[in-house]
Amino acid sequence: MELVSEPSSVEAVHLLTVGPFPRRMAEDLIIGLSREVRVPCRLLEETTEIETQILPDRAQVHADHLLRQLEALPIERGIKLVGVTLHDMAIPIFTFVFGRSRLGGPATVVSLARLRPEFYGLPADPAVTMRRGVAEILHEIGHNLELKHCRNYSCLMFFSHDVETVDLRGMSFCASCAPLLPAGFLAPGRNRY
Amino acid sequence: MTSAERTTQQSAILIVDDEPIVQQSLAEWFRSDGYEVDSAGSAKEALRKVAEGRYDIALVDIKMPGMDGLELQSRLAEVEPDLTVIMITAYASVDSAVQALKAGAFDYVTKPFDPDELSHLVRRAIEHRSLRFENIRLKESLDAIAGAPTIIGDSPGMRHVLDLVEAVSETDATVLIRGDSGTGKELVARAIHAKSGRRYNPMVVVNCGALAEGILESELFGHEKGAFTGAQYRHKGKFEMADGGTIFLDEIGAVSQRVQVELLRVLEDKVVTRVGGQTPISVDFRVIAATNQDLEAMVEAGDFREDLFWRLNVFTVEIPPLRERPEDIIALAHHFLEQYCHAMNRPHSNITPEALEVLGSYSWPGNVRELENAIERAIVVGKECVVRSEDLPVRVHGSTEPVVNGSSLAEVERAHILSVLNAMEWNISKSAEALGVDRGTLYNKIKRYGLQRPPDGAG
Repeated sequence: MELVSEPSSVEAVHLLTVGPFPRRMAEDLIIGLSREVRVPCRLLEETTEIETQILPDRAQVHADHLLRQLEALPIERGIKLVGVTLHDMAIPIFTFVFGRSRLGGPATVVSLARLRPEFYGLPADPAVTMRRGVAEILHEIGHNLELKHCRNYSCLMFFSHDVETVDLRGMSFCASCAPLLPAGFLAPGRNRY
Repeated sequence: MTSAERTTQQSAILIVDDEPIVQQSLAEWFRSDGYEVDSAGSAKEALRKVAEGRYDIALVDIKMPGMDGLELQSRLAEVEPDLTVIMITAYASVDSAVQALKAGAFDYVTKPFDPDELSHLVRRAIEHRSLRFENIRLKESLDAIAGAPTIIGDSPGMRHVLDLVEAVSETDATVLIRGDSGTGKELVARAIHAKSGRRYNPMVVVNCGALAEGILESELFGHEKGAFTGAQYRHKGKFEMADGGTIFLDEIGAVSQRVQVELLRVLEDKVVTRVGGQTPISVDFRVIAATNQDLEAMVEAGDFREDLFWRLNVFTVEIPPLRERPEDIIALAHHFLEQYCHAMNRPHSNITPEALEVLGSYSWPGNVRELENAIERAIVVGKECVVRSEDLPVRVHGSTEPVVNGSSLAEVERAHILSVLNAMEWNISKSAEALGVDRGTLYNKIKRYGLQRPPDGAG
């Protein structure tokens, strides 16, 4: 399907769950995102159009395959589509990924599998999972909005491939990255840095 | 801007892999991290792209159809020696990756990559490149700031010395520099070190004549904590400090018999054991020794070990005294004039013909050091913009008269030292300064000539 989203603008964020995903958890993500961005956030109904592909011998979902399917959905101009899953994700060349997106793309995909404390043998903590999930979604949307990785470790666009760094970087875009986001994207007071 | 000068954030990466999915995924991933990225699907394409010289790092898959990653690595090194190569391998071909490391690859990474590991690896490679180029720049700056010291002299004697310095500096041979006090033995040693392959490592100077036996031993070889009373801390010896560089043993003839034995052992084995220690420490150093003494006579007299003498006397540089090369006096005087005027921010610009006449007529028993001191003094006391004969030390004028007809050089030197000592009321520091030698040398000469201070009241 044709991509119609305009990379530099965002009018709404749509969340689509992929695979088994508790409704309550998805709603919590919407609430969490709504606190961070000014644009409307909406939970889409599940669709059977999305199929996951398992990487051979790895029991992990192929993230790029999933991203391509999301990007192929009819996404309206100004909408950023976020696919979230509890499947552990990877791509053939990487052992795992937290999320995937293309610079300027219309969609992004985020896995909560490795953001959950229980993945590391720790007690479940839904609040921690939500905070990390929202941070990772904002990071990937940042890529959709043409932002590259940032060298500021406290910025949401800082490169992170472990949960410690996800926690360390916090929930704000830095003074260099925030001005590059479309005006009116962040919730009032969320562009503090 | 060359690829070597690019900063971390501007670094350009070339991905060489025959699988398009690997190229695309890595390119996209590195692009989002702020790198410039390009990809090549074959070794041939990679060579063509690198020939344009735009890349800092190449990620090269070992297994590719046609020319494989290992062969590509060696070809890349010919095209762009500064390119940092990281090999990509599957678990099954780690042996090949190790082979690549031996051939100069920076590191290797196995498929599938841990994203964190790959990111760290690439940043480490960039930091390594950056440090390497910084090191090259610093060495160039160092060469410009502290290159080989200038040795002034166009006399046949000094030209011969300069030829010897050139010849020996490229080798690692032990050098024995001989010459009277003040002729510039340390300067020649520094020139040899500065022109040698060890120039970026330290040159450690030890004045063997200035230290008592026990202290010299500890200074040379180091000591362990508690090795002797007062050894409160472990102390690295000069040989250890000179590791990779040069140790300059000045006044080697002043070393005691006991330390000579230790010294010989260290020179032969290149291994030191700290005083009070048990552990042998391997050190890599070049030895340059210097003396103003007649070592052969000392060997004859049993004061200097013959085996140590032959160990040191591999390549000899003999520096002629200034009185044997009067044609160098004027050039040296002008050199010191320029040097000290610059250091003191004084406007002196020349030396009067009368002063040059005086300088040229003096015998300079303290050699170049005495001449240097005389010029320095003249600049300090002089009131005009030129060095005049009256600005020079009195002794320099005095020697225009015949010294002591028929006397040997040693007798002249003995008489001159004695007269200066008496004039300075045996104040060693003042006498040494007047003679243009250091205190240690003056003490040695007092001992050698058997000079004794007259009893009080004897005049």
